[in-house]
Amino acid sequence: MNSECRTYFERISEFLDGELDRDLCAKIESHLQDCPECRECLESLRRTIELCRRMAEEEIDPGVLARLKRAVLEALNH
Amino acid sequence: MQGESVVNHMEKTASNPSDEQLVASFREGSAEAMEIIVERYGNRILRFGLKMCGHLQDAEDISQETFLSAFRYLDSFRGETRLINWLFKIASRACMRKRRKKKDEPDREISLDAWLPERPGDEGRSYQIPDPDAGPDAHLDRKEMKKVIGEAMRQLPPHYRIVLNLRDVEGFSTRETADILEISEQAIKTRLHRARLFMREKISEYFEEEAYG
Repeated sequence: MNSECRTYFERISEFLDGELDRDLCAKIESHLQDCPECRECLESLRRTIELCRRMAEEEIDPGVLARLKRAVLEALNH
Repeated sequence: MQGESVVNHMEKTASNPSDEQLVASFREGSAEAMEIIVERYGNRILRFGLKMCGHLQDAEDISQETFLSAFRYLDSFRGETRLINWLFKIASRACMRKRRKKKDEPDREISLDAWLPERPGDEGRSYQIPDPDAGPDAHLDRKEMKKVIGEAMRQLPPHYRIVLNLRDVEGFSTRETADILEISEQAIKTRLHRARLFMREKISEYFEEEAYG
């Protein structure tokens, strides 16, 4: 691992989120072509993010929402 | 309208009201508007509370507190942000208050150095992160995967967990998350990166143990 890897490692989330400017993106893309460790780092992080994102698909029992609605409306009516 | 949700009724009888219309109706005294707001956003707030606290009862308490507070102060909501962002701001404060009351989850910092690729003695490490697109049978079923990720999230210090949930689970942008938590965008980016590295480590540890017993 060299200093370039370390510099880019700190920005890799922003790179994946598309939050870096074009110049820095191009530098990271070029570095990734030559650095298998950073490619592995990027891919494993990408997968991690995607797995977390899929937690948003989790369903809540409809009975819980109904209970919440009832509790809120009752509390407001008192 | 017995047996039919308010949202369904509105969709059938009129156009689906926008949040702005609901807020306006609420200000005119409509109880139906309140009901639609809870139906529309209740699931997301409950899920957020559940991921933050790990217990359904706590999630219900947080959600109830969020909507009650929102309806008490909705008159002062000026629409500078989306209604859902405002609800998450209230819910985030409720989560942090609940955590402070429990005092069993001290915040701690996560060092970036701990996750550098190729640390000394760690050369050539390959992270065992399942391919999310590989299909349900490739590594674990959905339920088991949910459990692994949920457990990893619970181990995250709370001020990292909240950022990960808002950004990666709920899909808020960096700017929106900064606004919800009232901290800088840079702090959001820093915490998010470390939270993701932490999650990667925990998920990988699980699969390494699975692979090597």
